[in-house]
Amino acid sequence: MQPTPEVVLAVVFLPFLAAAFTPVVYRILGERTAYFAAAVALVTLGLVTDQYLAGAHGTVSFDWIPSLGVSLAFHVDGLALLIAFLASGVGVLILTYSGGYMHGEPGQAKYYATLLAFMGSMLGVALAGDLVALFVFWELTSLSSFILIGHYTGEEASQYAARKSMLITVSGGLFMLVGFLLLVWASGQTTAIEGTTYSIPLLVEHADAIREVLTASGLLVPVLVLVGLGAATKSAQVPFHVWLPNAMEAPTPVSAFLHSATMVKAGVYLVGRFRPLFLPEDAAVLGEWTLVFAVLGLLTMTVAAMLAVSATDIKELLAYSTASHLGLIIAAFGFANSYGAEAGAFHILNHASFKAALFMVAGIIAHEAGTRNIDRLGGLRKHLPVTAVIAVVASLSMAGFPPFNGFYSKELLFESTYYAAEHMGGVAWVFPVVAVFGSVFTFLYSIKFASLFFGDEPDGLGHVHRPPVAMLVPPAILGALVLAISAQPNLFIEGLIGDVYGSVVPGEAHSFSVHFPTELTPYVIMSIITIVVGAAAFPFYDRIHDAINAALRGPVRANWWYDNFVEGLTTASVAVTPKIQTGLLRTYTTWGLFGFVALALGGYAAAGVSLPGFDGLSVSIPIVLVLLVALVAAFAVDIAPSHVAGVLTLSIVGFMVAIFYILADAPDLALTQLVVETLVLVIFLLVLDRLPAFYGDAPDRLVSVRDGLLSLAVGGTVFLTVLLSTNASPDPLLREFIVARAGVPAEHGPFFADYGGGSNVVNVILVDFRGIDTMGEISVVVMASIAILTLIRMRTRGETQ
Amino acid sequence: MNGSSGRTTVISRTVARIVVPIILVTAIALLFRGHNLPGGGFIGAVLAAAAFALVYIIFGLEFIQREILAIKPDGSEQHRLVETYRWMASLGLAIAVASSLAPLAFGAPFLTQGVLFLEHLPLYGELEVASAFAFDLGVFFAVVGGLLTIVAEVGNE
Repeated sequence: MQPTPEVVLAVVFLPFLAAAFTPVVYRILGERTAYFAAAVALVTLGLVTDQYLAGAHGTVSFDWIPSLGVSLAFHVDGLALLIAFLASGVGVLILTYSGGYMHGEPGQAKYYATLLAFMGSMLGVALAGDLVALFVFWELTSLSSFILIGHYTGEEASQYAARKSMLITVSGGLFMLVGFLLLVWASGQTTAIEGTTYSIPLLVEHADAIREVLTASGLLVPVLVLVGLGAATKSAQVPFHVWLPNAMEAPTPVSAFLHSATMVKAGVYLVGRFRPLFLPEDAAVLGEWTLVFAVLGLLTMTVAAMLAVSATDIKELLAYSTASHLGLIIAAFGFANSYGAEAGAFHILNHASFKAALFMVAGIIAHEAGTRNIDRLGGLRKHLPVTAVIAVVASLSMAGFPPFNGFYSKELLFESTYYAAEHMGGVAWVFPVVAVFGSVFTFLYSIKFASLFFGDEPDGLGHVHRPPVAMLVPPAILGALVLAISAQPNLFIEGLIGDVYGSVVPGEAHSFSVHFPTELTPYVIMSIITIVVGAAAFPFYDRIHDAINAALRGPVRANWWYDNFVEGLTTASVAVTPKIQTGLLRTYTTWGLFGFVALALGGYAAAGVSLPGFDGLSVSIPIVLVLLVALVAAFAVDIAPSHVAGVLTLSIVGFMVAIFYILADAPDLALTQLVVETLVLVIFLLVLDRLPAFYGDAPDRLVSVRDGLLSLAVGGTVFLTVLLSTNASPDPLLREFIVARAGVPAEHGPFFADYGGGSNVVNVILVDFRGIDTMGEISVVVMASIAILTLIRMRTRGETQ
Repeated sequence: MNGSSGRTTVISRTVARIVVPIILVTAIALLFRGHNLPGGGFIGAVLAAAAFALVYIIFGLEFIQREILAIKPDGSEQHRLVETYRWMASLGLAIAVASSLAPLAFGAPFLTQGVLFLEHLPLYGELEVASAFAFDLGVFFAVVGGLLTIVAEVGNE
């Protein structure tokens, strides 16, 4: 069935609408705004469910920028529905949980409005069926993430974290945009598609033709890398993972929502969305796609898991773990076999279920025990019994421990790495080895997290409160979801994940099923190795933790690169600014004029213009005389002894030009020139009243020569420009049109005629044909007057500050 | 230059008294006839601004406030004069924008201009009016307001 256009629109824009009203709602409801927001999320979830139950599959499109072929298209399929379910479903839980967590916190109206806006953007990303729409919603999620990470605006750590995430994710998004534009270009090169298209389903449909064009022009790998940069920055893949641990400065519900369940999934989603475009059914086992994404994913999975072991803060541990699991999904999507696609599709759901639960558990611990430091936590089981059960279930799932749901998706990944290695042989055996190696660390930190609830209470752990119900129910629901998926994985696969699998593989695809292993396959052995080695290494956790921390020094840390890069840019700007921004008007004028000359002459040279031929002068004697006077006056300006004399002499030039206009039959120009010249003279004299009457000492000889040369260059450029522009003659059609339509029509209707209605063509052009130019000009006049007003009024204030 | 009368001569003051009204009338004439003969909103506006500048140089700012705009001095008087000019500029922009938006109400694109034929008017009978005149009026006020703001504010220094 085709999706219902109204419902799909409502899904995306209802949260935005609610966000706009949130400040008003907050005035009425106060802290209970959380439940208003949760209700909005619930309605959205209901609408998504409606589409799901109706079996919606297809594209709905609304005109957006028809002249560019850009539309607001939404594409509903398995992958889109899964992400939409996560965004709205986890949204309901998180917003409810916020009602307890945010009690007494500042800036709640902004918090809920931004969370709702984020939810809308994320739904937009999930459902986008158009490259431009996808990009816009994509950047909107970065923007709302920026606001939410910097929620505590006064704290330096929050500011640093917000800036970092913004710089990394938004710049990655820009690379992605370039990749998108290359795809659009490619769509214009094939005959399979009429014109160019921004439609994602259409691009995927003609995947072979697009790939052919890209391969032929050598752009396949660049496009992969550009789109991959967008995904890698968003999904915190190595080496762009550095922003995610800092993002934990945000309130914990935000970390659970944006930085584990949804926003960071956008990158994964992107990889899944473009997988059928770049990975045909008969793809090579180790093609470009696999090289880029399997390597990126496995690297991230391993490195981030090791970093998670090195973490000392529970939220930091979970942040690195998130990056690691996203790496797992990207690696899975990277492999060119069906197991990879299955593993990725299934793990998106599994990871969201256990990781969001764990983040909320971390929020409960931080909220009720007052610390997030791993060393200072232990034995929480006695105080938080329900939380402990949730934490253990979710941690075991995260560890990939059978029979929990995390085990099934990890098995599928092992299976796909094993098959890739078996087909390729040789170096490809690195894949399964690295996957097992990274999983050992995953096992270690998962068990470490669960162990916080057992053992003895460390000294210094104060009284631990019971969490409020609003904070306990949402993670409990997710914990129950983990158990449900673990018990009946095939039910969920049949219901939704099978369709997700269909979205990420090319052509028609069938669903799949998973089974609890009953015999000893190679990938079961891989799981056993992971668990046995992990269990054997766990007693040495502290030593491994210290060893990794000891190794993380200087350039080994990605943070070192980020901090030095940003600081280097700041230092360079601070060093360069005083040289360019001297605060002296003459410096700006010099550079401005120099830039004008260089750009104009450079432009002429690049365009290869040729000078028009010279075919003799035909001017009357009066014109020659007038221009001669102007010339003499121009020279006189240079030797004028004072400012006043200089300005008065300069105005002679102006008036001579006005007379020239009269002689050249341009009365409108002449009138304008005369009145403007008069007014400028008056303004000059008013300003000169404040300046010293005489020039200072003669400037440095070198400076004089430089200024003289610059003046000659400016004059020469203007002369050249006039020559070139007057040489071109406009289309005679234009002149005929203007002459025909400027006046009053001879025959006309009763009341209105679309004619200029004036015999002065110049004025008709000004206010009618080119009215929008005039509108811009008068706006500039008014803006200039306001600017001068501000400059003069603020001047004294600026000096005292 | 605020001192005014102490620094200007009787001749200049007398000439200004006669010339300024003529300049202003010319400016308005240029505005009105602009659509058919040399002139227009911009030229008229600059000329009108020049007339005010002349008054200002010869008689001083206070004179304009007191005698022409009837603003009573109250300490911050010069700023109030500038306020008036700024209002004039905003009014001009508003007229221009409103006259450009008006065609939208009749289903025509933004900035559509044309000729209106008014019939059965007293005295005139039939009259052809270019709708662009409203736009030109906006240009006139915007430019007069903008320029006078600059002149008054620069002159204040």
